[in-house]
Amino acid sequence: MPKHISRLLLLMAAFVVAALAAKAFFTVNSFYRYGHYRADSVPEIAAMAPSFQTPKACASCHAPRLAEWTGGHHKTVICEVCHGALPGHPEALKATIPTDTVSLCTQCHEKMPGRPDSIRQVDVSQHHPSGQCISCHNPHAPKIGTAIPVTPAALHAAASNAAACAACHGANGMATSDIWPNLAGQNAAYIARSLGAFKTGGRVEPTMSPMAQAVADEDVPALAAYFAAMSCRTPTGKHGSGNAAAGKTLAKQCAACHGENGRPVNSAWPRLSGQNAAYLVSAITAFRDGQRKNPFMSEAARGLGDNDIANLASYFAGLPCGIETH
Amino acid sequence: MTNDTTKPEVPARRIFLRNIGRGAACAGAVAGAGLIAGAHGADTPATPASDGQSFPAPGYDWNAHRWAFAVDATKCIGCLRCVEACKKENHVALDAHHFRTWVERYAYLEGEEKPHVDSMPDPVNIQAAGSEEKYRFANRYKDAKVEKAFFVPKLCNHCTHPACVQVCPTGATYKTRDGFVLIDHKYCIGCQYCVQACPYGARFFNHAKGVTDKCTWCYHRVTRGLMPACVEVCPVQARMFGDLNDPKSVVSLFIRNNRVQVLKPETGNAPNVYYIGLDKEVV
Repeated sequence: MPKHISRLLLLMAAFVVAALAAKAFFTVNSFYRYGHYRADSVPEIAAMAPSFQTPKACASCHAPRLAEWTGGHHKTVICEVCHGALPGHPEALKATIPTDTVSLCTQCHEKMPGRPDSIRQVDVSQHHPSGQCISCHNPHAPKIGTAIPVTPAALHAAASNAAACAACHGANGMATSDIWPNLAGQNAAYIARSLGAFKTGGRVEPTMSPMAQAVADEDVPALAAYFAAMSCRTPTGKHGSGNAAAGKTLAKQCAACHGENGRPVNSAWPRLSGQNAAYLVSAITAFRDGQRKNPFMSEAARGLGDNDIANLASYFAGLPCGIETH
Repeated sequence: MTNDTTKPEVPARRIFLRNIGRGAACAGAVAGAGLIAGAHGADTPATPASDGQSFPAPGYDWNAHRWAFAVDATKCIGCLRCVEACKKENHVALDAHHFRTWVERYAYLEGEEKPHVDSMPDPVNIQAAGSEEKYRFANRYKDAKVEKAFFVPKLCNHCTHPACVQVCPTGATYKTRDGFVLIDHKYCIGCQYCVQACPYGARFFNHAKGVTDKCTWCYHRVTRGLMPACVEVCPVQARMFGDLNDPKSVVSLFIRNNRVQVLKPETGNAPNVYYIGLDKEVV
């Protein structure tokens, strides 16, 4: 072979080797491991932190709320749909409590061509032209009234279970002391929810918590219905130490949820009319001071002074209790 | 390159070329050794991977799964919670023009043959939402005579034979063993051939990063045992996600129990999002 040809071939070979060397040097090791891509990019993508935590993450702290939600019609709508994605909650991020529920709820429930009939749809202008949806609907269990039907037999059994409650709440549902709440005529859904909260530890009270824990889960609805069906006595005379007239003015801000006369449309909220004044004072104070937790009540009670609370309690305690709940 | 043979009378050039030749030979020798070492290294990768065990995430073996997505369009209410959740979960630009998943509305009005199709970028819908950071379908057919209307959620189909992967010049997009089509943002050069190649319009250009972006079926969630964010938040279970290797998974059952269809089967991409409740107009 002529010298110049062999030199040329040698040079070409050298270039090929150099090219391969450059390729080996510049291509990362994991390329081609599983195919024509960088294998390391797969775990890189998988390592991204999820934003949505799913209801499992909520269960450890919000068990009562979760139980209420699981039993209601919204059980397919996870917490973070309304409260926002909650990565780093509770340390780094607080959950949002939606305030404009009309715009929130109509995202799904606005009557619109194309939406299947299986989903409840309303024309807001006819359904309820003003006010918030949560004035009547409990967002965690939106169907109004108790969703759980109670059989007469269960109601009969509840009468014997209720004997254990009589020491404080009275045999007829009227509390034996001003500091305990009357249960007669109270909204069943609210009693059931409160009992559930005491059972799971969402509400803590030294006397009530062990009593509630002794009630079996399946007995709760009947017990609630039993007390709700009792008739309460319309109170007479003066109630508490507050000024009922001043309380009446303040009570306007309670009306959205608790109703104009202390009787709420949404039976998930408690009826306040005819309730014992001392109990109301302790309940509102507990919300204000953070011992009882409810986003709406904590907000509502935040600015109240001790006098305001006493006035409110006197006003509500003096209202005719009535037995109609809806 | 051939100068040393045609003009041998210039010693300086010859010396120069000779030196280059020697340099190349040395580099070649070093690289050859490197190649052998590299090839050897590829057989025994440093990261625990290959087959079995856990890759690409702890406790997750990508050889054990074959994921697929299902959409029941008859259930979709067009609430767009999926769209908002996807944006939050995957940090997608909050505007009405870049979506990893989106929902289309088809409305057939009385006396018209073709449907009216709209989606989130429609100005009427942006106005109804109040801002481009929120998404909502305007109730624009409230007073119209609607013969039929329905919503169709759309997203990347994670095709079995993805055209986007075929055209990528850098190997930045690829098909994983568990059925996902992913994008390596470090290797993407932003040429957007894949955006053109996708018959479903599932890809878009991420202007902030200068790379192509698209739905990953929330790979980071699935490898942790969670559902994709859009599936998680769907209030009516119109979106489903499951493992085809598991005959009891929600998607396996969905495919078995329904007459399912895929979008644009004629393109040969073999998509993996299965639909029921679509009309002939939906592509």
